[in-house]
Amino acid sequence: MQNPPALELEDDAALVRRIAQAGPARDHDAEAELCRRLAPRVRLYGLKHLRDEHAAADLMQQVMLMTIEKLRTGELRDGEKLAPFVFGICRMSVLELRRGGLRRERLLKQYGEDLAPAAAPEPLFDLERVEGCLEKLPQRERSVLLLTFYEDKPADEVGAALGLSAGNVRVIRHRGLARLRECVTGERQ
Amino acid sequence: MSAPPCAAPLDERTLVEYWLGELPDDAEAAVDEHILGCGHCSARLGELVALAGGIREAFRRGGLQAVVGDAFVRRLAEQGLRVREYRVPCNGAVDCTVTPEDDLVVSRLEAPLAGVSRLDVVVHAPGLPDEVQQDVPFDAERGEVVYAPNTAELRAAPSFRLRLELIAVDDGGRRVIGDYTFNHTAHEA
Repeated sequence: MQNPPALELEDDAALVRRIAQAGPARDHDAEAELCRRLAPRVRLYGLKHLRDEHAAADLMQQVMLMTIEKLRTGELRDGEKLAPFVFGICRMSVLELRRGGLRRERLLKQYGEDLAPAAAPEPLFDLERVEGCLEKLPQRERSVLLLTFYEDKPADEVGAALGLSAGNVRVIRHRGLARLRECVTGERQ
Repeated sequence: MSAPPCAAPLDERTLVEYWLGELPDDAEAAVDEHILGCGHCSARLGELVALAGGIREAFRRGGLQAVVGDAFVRRLAEQGLRVREYRVPCNGAVDCTVTPEDDLVVSRLEAPLAGVSRLDVVVHAPGLPDEVQQDVPFDAERGEVVYAPNTAELRAAPSFRLRLELIAVDDGGRRVIGDYTFNHTAHEA
C-alpha cells in the first residue's frame, strides 16, 4: 500500500477534503497545515482592508475559526472552491469589524481556549540594509517611495504632493521598488 | 518550504496597485480572491508589505534623507511626530539644531520655482566631496522645496556649516536659483 503524501506536499483542496472527511473526529494535522497556509493570507487581506495590525490579527483569528468549523461540518467539500469560500467569510468579517461588532473580547468569550495567539510575522528584511539601499536611490525615487509607502497612498495623492503626474509617479514607483528590492535582496528582478 | 508556483501569477505592478487601492472594485475583488487561494502570490505580496514597512520604519527612525511635500509634513505633525521646522529664505542662512525630543527636522527652502522644469540640489558639506542630487521633486506653486535631512546622522554630528544650492536645469543650461546656509549647532545635554 502506498503511503499518503506528506501534508505539506498536498494542495489546499486535498486538505479541505481531509478535514471534511474526518468530520467530528477531526484531522488535527490537516487543520493545522491549512491554518498555517491560510492565516498569513487572511492577515494580508485584513491589513489591506483594515490598515491596522491588531484588527488584521482579530480578523485572521475569526476567519480561521469560522473556516475550520465550516469545513468540519462539511459545508464546503469541494476543495477547489476554498478561495471564494474564505473570501466570502473575510468580506463578511471585515464588514462586521468595521461596524464594531467583532472584537477580541467577544471572540475570547465565544471561543475561549480554541483561540490561538496570533503569531507576529518575522521581519523579512534587515532594517539597516533597507535604510542603506534607500539612501542609494535617486532622490526622486526615494521621495516617491517614502510618500507612497509611509501611509500607503495612491499615485494621484503622491503626485499632488510632489508636483508630479499620477502616471509619472507610477513609473518612478515601479522603477524605485525594483531597484530597492534588488539592493535589499541582492536579486536582480 | 517555499510556496508552490502559481499558474497565473499576478505581476508586480498589479500587486502594488492592489495594495495602494488603485484598482477598480471588481479587479480588487479578483486579486483578493487570488491572494487568498495562492501561496505564491500571497508570499510576494507579503514581501512587498514588509518592504513598505521597512521604508516606513527607516523614516520614523530618522535614518532617511528625502525631499518631501508640505502636506506630508503637516500630516506627520498631526500624527504626533515632533517636527522641528526651519524656513530658509532664498539665498538666506539659518542657525539650526536637533534635540533628543525631535523626531524629525525639516527645512523649507524658499525659491523662485515658477517655470522650472528640472531641479538639482548640490550639497556642500565640510570635508566631503560635493553631492549632486539630480531631478528632485518640488512644488512650484508653493515656491519651496521641503527637505528632510537624515535626522539620525544630524543628531550624531558635531557643530558644522553646510550649504545647499538649488540649480534649475533646462535647455539653456544650469543656473543657481537659491543658495542656503545652515549653521548647525550640536545639541548639548
